[in-house]
Amino acid sequence: MIEVQHLTKRYGPFTAVDDVSFKVEPGEILGFLGPNGAGKTTTMRVLTGYMPPTGGKAIVAGFDVFEQPIEAKRRIGYLPETPPLYPDMTVRDYLTFVAKIKGVPRADRKARLDSVMERTRISDMATRHCGKLSKGYRQRVGLAQAILHNPDVLVLDEPTAGLDPKQIIQTRELIKELAGSHTIILSTHILPEVSQTCQRVVIINKGKVVAVDTPDNLTARIRGSETMYVQVDASGADAQGALSQVPGVRQIAVTETRGSVTGFEIDSEPGRDVRRELASAIVTRGWGLLELRPMRMSLEDVFLQLTTQDAAEPEVAHE
Amino acid sequence: MSNILAIAHKELKAYFASPIAYIVIGFSSILFGWFFVNLLYYFNRLSLQAGAGMGGPEAVSVNDMLIGPLFLNVTVILLFTLPLVTMRIYSEEKRSGTIELLLTSPLTDVQIVLGKFLGAFVLYATMLAVTLVHMGFLFAFGNPEWRPVATSYLGMLLMGGCFLSLGLFVSSLTKNQIVAGMVTFAIFLMFWVINWIATFTGPTMQAVLNYLSITEHLNDFTKGVIDTKHLVYYVSFIVFSLFLTVRSVDSERWRG
Ligand SMILES: Nc1ncnc2c1ncn2[C@@H]1O[C@H](COP(=O)(O)OP(=O)(O)O)[C@@H](O)[C@H]1O
Ligand SMILES: [Mg+2]
Repeated sequence: MIEVQHLTKRYGPFTAVDDVSFKVEPGEILGFLGPNGAGKTTTMRVLTGYMPPTGGKAIVAGFDVFEQPIEAKRRIGYLPETPPLYPDMTVRDYLTFVAKIKGVPRADRKARLDSVMERTRISDMATRHCGKLSKGYRQRVGLAQAILHNPDVLVLDEPTAGLDPKQIIQTRELIKELAGSHTIILSTHILPEVSQTCQRVVIINKGKVVAVDTPDNLTARIRGSETMYVQVDASGADAQGALSQVPGVRQIAVTETRGSVTGFEIDSEPGRDVRRELASAIVTRGWGLLELRPMRMSLEDVFLQLTTQDAAEPEVAHE
Repeated sequence: MSNILAIAHKELKAYFASPIAYIVIGFSSILFGWFFVNLLYYFNRLSLQAGAGMGGPEAVSVNDMLIGPLFLNVTVILLFTLPLVTMRIYSEEKRSGTIELLLTSPLTDVQIVLGKFLGAFVLYATMLAVTLVHMGFLFAFGNPEWRPVATSYLGMLLMGGCFLSLGLFVSSLTKNQIVAGMVTFAIFLMFWVINWIATFTGPTMQAVLNYLSITEHLNDFTKGVIDTKHLVYYVSFIVFSLFLTVRSVDSERWRG
């Protein structure tokens, strides 16, 4: 449904997107994951026909976005990073305008508007000016705008950014609902976001595709080993000796000592949860267990790990 | 066509949702009224002198002495008000990010530019329509010829179209409304005064400068004459500016 082939985009001398290729199958939700500045927005802008690529091409619903832009754009719904609203227009007027320029036939307009407003839960805001909406409502009107002409493909740029937790859950639900009848590509810079909604993930960093995989596989690969942070009320040497005896522990390092308190980073074997064993080893020796928590990998760690991994196994990066 | 109308309609709504439409229409009708009353007073004096046989012209024509000068004066109003109309057209879309909606919708650049031009043009036509009230007084209390009045309005529409298309082009070049407004005003002013220096130059240069002057072409219209020469000038001016705007929007895409 979406095919991106060797897409490159330069801003002057700076390469924002570098030879990116991926495919999205009909009905699929693809996550486009990368830190800020990775090139997600740029890729999406090229994909939606907002700007031409420097090299490569994008095919959406069978139409090359730059050879047949009008045909391609008829089949794309796009929610940019900031919802493109006219502050002086009411929600209903705005959506009517969008329906007109997206080519929704006059006869269907009203019914379409009503059902989309219902679906995105903005019906009670119909007469409110877009400029006076809260962030959550702005995002929903943006989403309504994107699905108004019932496009085959939805391109959503960070659809949950800046929303509160309740709104995030609602938006995710809505996106999942839409997935059946639309092919969706959504970008995010938050790791858990993709595992919640997407069937497949493209990870992009510094303009390059780092990995393409299912969220489960990716999480497994990222958890090559698990790291715990443990803080104990005991002398460093004693504790280190005792904890390294715990089955499943691979590596142990002292990261901090403060008086009688010692902090460790403990690597365990992949897929093995050693928290219980660690806790009982400490407690049975009569030491105080002050802290025990898995260390979250930051997105940067993930990229570092994936990029170094993929240098060794390059075939993974291209499915 | 329906796309062009949709955009024009949206533009008009935006003008009337902000103070711009009211400022432009209010300001221009007040100035128009001021010019009108002044010229009317002057015209009355001339008529009285003529009537009293005190060496003035034999018969004073409403058209030559009132309507002609009136419209030439009114061009000053456009100089100040039309940059206000065009300065926000593109800048605003870029600032608020709605340009992303327009450029990713199934529209051509030409449709977008024409729609925006049409919206501004209809606002301008509304502004002119308000001044018809003054003309109504003339027809109620005097007996001017209708033809020069009609051609004057045609000329005004065309000349305003030139200013608007030029302003639209300038607006497409920048994200900053104020810059767009100032630059537009400066260019208008240049086109307005360009023939002032014409008298000091050689005959060829004089012809060229006069030809370039936007206001010079209005003269014949205020006399009731529709000369194709002037029509061609105005229409090609508009088409060329709109063409430049389309090019500018397109090159903007490439730069990203
Ligand atoms: N219009 C532009 N001109 C120049 N550089 C840009 C422009 N837009 C984005 N960039 C740069 O390109 C890189 C990728 O940006 P972007 O696609 O917005 O990343 P993301 O959406 O993943 O945060 C960034 O380094 C950004 O600074
Ligand atoms: Mg972005």
